[in-house]
Amino acid sequence: MFFRVIAKDRLPDLVRGLSTEFEVVGPVAKGEKFVLAPIEDPASLRLDYDTTVLPPKKWFFPPEETIMRFRVADNEVVDDEVYAPPRVLFGLHPCDVNSLLLMDNVFFGKYVDPYYRARRENTLIVGVSCTPSDTCFCNAWGTDETHWGFDIFLSDIGDSYFASIRSVKGAELVDRHVESRDITDEDTRLFQERTAAFKAAFSNDVDTSQLPLLLDAKFDSPIWEAFGEKCLACGACSMVCPTCYCFDVHDELEADQQHGRRVRTWDSCQFKEFAAVAHGQNFRDTRASRVKYRYYHKQWGYLSKFERVLCVGCGRCARACKANINPVRVVEALQTGVVD
Amino acid sequence: MDTIMRGTHVSGAVPESTVNPYRPWPARITSIMDLTPQEKLFELRLIDSDAREAFDFSAGQFVELSVFGVGEAPISISSAPSKQGFIELCVRNAGDVTGALHRKQCGDIVGLRGPFGRGFPFEEMKGHDVLLVAGGLGIAPLKSLINHIHDDRHDFGKVTILYGAKKPDEVLFRYQFDMWQHRDDFDLMLTVDQPDDTWEGEVGLVTRLFDKIDVDPENTYGAICGPPVMYKYVIAEMRKKAMDVDRIYVSFERRMKCGIGKCGHCGVGHQYACVDGPVFNYWEAMNLQEAI
Repeated sequence: MFFRVIAKDRLPDLVRGLSTEFEVVGPVAKGEKFVLAPIEDPASLRLDYDTTVLPPKKWFFPPEETIMRFRVADNEVVDDEVYAPPRVLFGLHPCDVNSLLLMDNVFFGKYVDPYYRARRENTLIVGVSCTPSDTCFCNAWGTDETHWGFDIFLSDIGDSYFASIRSVKGAELVDRHVESRDITDEDTRLFQERTAAFKAAFSNDVDTSQLPLLLDAKFDSPIWEAFGEKCLACGACSMVCPTCYCFDVHDELEADQQHGRRVRTWDSCQFKEFAAVAHGQNFRDTRASRVKYRYYHKQWGYLSKFERVLCVGCGRCARACKANINPVRVVEALQTGVVD
Repeated sequence: MDTIMRGTHVSGAVPESTVNPYRPWPARITSIMDLTPQEKLFELRLIDSDAREAFDFSAGQFVELSVFGVGEAPISISSAPSKQGFIELCVRNAGDVTGALHRKQCGDIVGLRGPFGRGFPFEEMKGHDVLLVAGGLGIAPLKSLINHIHDDRHDFGKVTILYGAKKPDEVLFRYQFDMWQHRDDFDLMLTVDQPDDTWEGEVGLVTRLFDKIDVDPENTYGAICGPPVMYKYVIAEMRKKAMDVDRIYVSFERRMKCGIGKCGHCGVGHQYACVDGPVFNYWEAMNLQEAI
């Protein structure tokens, strides 16, 4: 990996430069929260944000998208092209950079999802270091660091960023648009110091010991009934989750009834009908079974295929859940057998 | 703006595939047969000849059937892979898509994606006895295996088929099974729960038929498909006959949207029925929470 040092007061040059070639999307303030939105003015970019309401997945896998247009008469597809503008996601935290790598495992593989792929290929990632908030627990999964999955990663070392450059494109863009210099031993020392302070700043300490095994061994534990009692089945946890990828597909007809579009939308395993089949059988009829499935899949189902848990500890679900159900509490309950 | 700009992200190898796995191939309905008041057998032919030749499946796999304007539904293939160029689907009128299909006529065009999933281990079963147990519409995927065995009959030992339906008029493929009852290379037993005056066969649940068969446990593969409630009882009978857990195969029905391991709906335990199944052996199924 290459490293450069970029002075903080030069960073707007990079944003402005990128804007000449890409749509630049980054964290901006919205009320008291932050969202990822197109950046018109570098001054609106808020790299001091805690987290965004929605995760970056929506820039690759939108909440609703037309996957094809069709003609009813001969049941033909008339259009399944994907429009993917060149874009930069500027200022993603390590958890979110890691979340995209987890999504890649699902949307690539034997069957490549062309819609996700087109956007992924046309999007550059610029990461930025962060400070843990009280809902963060990325330290539990090792997703507090990211070593790939970005083009440029900016680590705050005081007056400057210690920039890790991962791709040719990233190197070119830094070269072209912003003043930078080689790193010195002092810069690396500051980077290490900053990393140590970051690691020490977490307030959550999740005991993940033997988690996949415990999910099976305690499959019939009363904790799931207890969480099921609390769960509102609203699906907010899935919507705000950077790694929840489940979707629904439906057809919509135009007024002429002869043309239409096939649409996919975000879905949630917490919704009652999620596992129901045509003639009445519902494989996860109770809220308890659905809450359990969400954790079972994330911490074991996905892991059994890709050797990582399907969670990056961003804490968005902890902020969104009105019933105070989140991985920190669920894992603790699994370990202790008690829902506090 | 550019829509193709390669090599911009570095997360890993981006595969080269250009096929859109969500895009259905047009298929023409070449024959429709009423099987029961709720079920019809559709024969389909992919219109594109390349797609037709590339459509290589194994018994137990399924397709996503598309009626544009209504939606898609996963349907298991009922014909044998040895029947080339055509695909048969035995479909119950149970939902929006299957309802729309039931209203189609011969010559109409629908969409197909697939074949998807993991089918029965046909090659591994060769050289052995096979015991097939179906309940209700569960005969649909097993019919593909039965017909495939039929076409390679000399490669198999004893073949026993136990099939239970609720009522006589719900027995599927009766035209064929009535004939097969007289064959000595297939040991076929039908049973119904609620007989009528015309029914001369067995009465009761399919598990009752196990008293009437002999199984060589060292040499027999089992294949089961039926309503969810049926599996544990049939498996218990097979285990009583001392059949091995990893030679008993089950096929599961689950809700599916994509068929390719992405939409998440068909999760069963830690697996997905669409790509890891829908056929699992019982050892695997025992390790899938809430599967049976």
